[in-house]
Amino acid sequence: MSVSKNKGTNLLRSSEKSSLRRFLALYFTLVVMILSLLGTFYYQSKEKLMYSDQRTILSNYAHEQIQQLRRLHRDFPQKSTYPRSSEFRSGIYDIERSEIFSTLQSKDLNFDKELYHQNGMMTSVTYLDDYYLGMKYLFIEIDEDANWYSSVMMEIFTLGIIILIVLATFGLFFVNLFLRPMKNSIMLLDDFIKDTTHELNTPISAILANVEMMNIEIMGEKNRKKLSRINIAAKTVSHLYQDLTYLTLDHNRKSKDEWIDLKSLIEDRVEYFAILAGSKKVVFTLDLNYSTIFIDGIKIARVIDNLISNAIKYNKRAGTIHVTLRKDYFMVKDSGIGIETDKVNDIFERYSRFNSSEGGFGIGLNIVKSIIEEYSLKIDVQSIIGKGTTIRVDFLKGTVDDK
Amino acid sequence: MINKIVLIVMLSMAVNAKEVPNIYEKACIPCHKHLPYSLEKIYMLYLKTFSGELTFKASLKAFLKSPMEETSVMPDEWIENFSVKERTILTDKELDEAIDSYWKLYDVRNKLH
Repeated sequence: MSVSKNKGTNLLRSSEKSSLRRFLALYFTLVVMILSLLGTFYYQSKEKLMYSDQRTILSNYAHEQIQQLRRLHRDFPQKSTYPRSSEFRSGIYDIERSEIFSTLQSKDLNFDKELYHQNGMMTSVTYLDDYYLGMKYLFIEIDEDANWYSSVMMEIFTLGIIILIVLATFGLFFVNLFLRPMKNSIMLLDDFIKDTTHELNTPISAILANVEMMNIEIMGEKNRKKLSRINIAAKTVSHLYQDLTYLTLDHNRKSKDEWIDLKSLIEDRVEYFAILAGSKKVVFTLDLNYSTIFIDGIKIARVIDNLISNAIKYNKRAGTIHVTLRKDYFMVKDSGIGIETDKVNDIFERYSRFNSSEGGFGIGLNIVKSIIEEYSLKIDVQSIIGKGTTIRVDFLKGTVDDK
Repeated sequence: MINKIVLIVMLSMAVNAKEVPNIYEKACIPCHKHLPYSLEKIYMLYLKTFSGELTFKASLKAFLKSPMEETSVMPDEWIENFSVKERTILTDKELDEAIDSYWKLYDVRNKLH
């Protein structure tokens, strides 16, 4: 079984992503607000246009009705049938707004508005100077176009979506433009580290190999101390080299997962860092049960190395590091300087460091985070300023050997 | 016998009451029936000019109490031929009654269908 690695180098820190998200949210909110405003204006202009069309139609009907009423007035009472039409309804009212005759459906009439719509009907009022049959007000009423509203809303919605897509494309283009300098600077740093890394391998390997080969039995105490310091320095650089290699080269390779004996691995890594810990008189206490995990050996070693290395680096002199291993988790607890609560979430960011007085690039915990995420493990950081930090890594069910 | 006499008197009074013309019929029709312009036509002319019932009645009453060429709704030819009518001799109450009857008689609301 193998887990394929599909994550590319993540150029954006989470704080930058958060800024980007905020910018995009603001941009889209503004775009939607502007579009809503434009939609409202568009609706109003279409409504005005519709009113204008209806006004013309109603005006023609009114003119036609007035002619008929004029004839009726002239021939009254020999002719007394009120003129009706299948295309509109009408009503005539005298100067005192009293009904003379009406075929209108609407009972709630507005004498002061020349054109209005209510209850799905469009009504116009014509004011007359010659009061045929006593009429001062002529109401003409027609049914509103039922499809008008839905067709206008459909137009607004379609246009809105098209404009939104166009503006979103522009938005993404500008975001890329905005982020390019930031991406370039991060890429420049990555490239620098990558180039430097190639040049570190041979000298570090040579130093470490030669230190291992030297016979400390025949050395004097002073020389033995000097050699120990060389060993510590070389291992520190070697650890950094491992991280940089992982970050720039190894993390893109396909994982080679296998059952790893964590107890042996932790013991091995503790022994590797023993000289480094000894230089600060930091003491390891191990409480390790047997546990195996199905994972890439290099990657889990990077996790353990970085947690132990940080526990040494940020520990106080003569401090302690307690490493616990259980079947489904392991925990590294130090007695170091601790981390402020509001900065706990930032420690996994690339190029961020607990304390600028200590060396390093701030990439160790970023590597830990990327491996943890790749294998869906769970990491928990508890820290108290001045007392120390505890980092616990829980294994996912199924990755540990349940036997 | 007395009861019969009372009954006959009352019946004759009722019959006579029916036949008694109202003030409009008494004061307006006798003159107008000889004119070429019917009262109905004059009503339609007033209606076309004043529209509402209250305006109609008020304007007509004002004209009848003080007839003037300027306030007449009749065509110029009419005025030239028949001149403006004389001032009414009816009291306000009689005039209101006459105009009410006139309005009711020709009200278009009751005739349109």
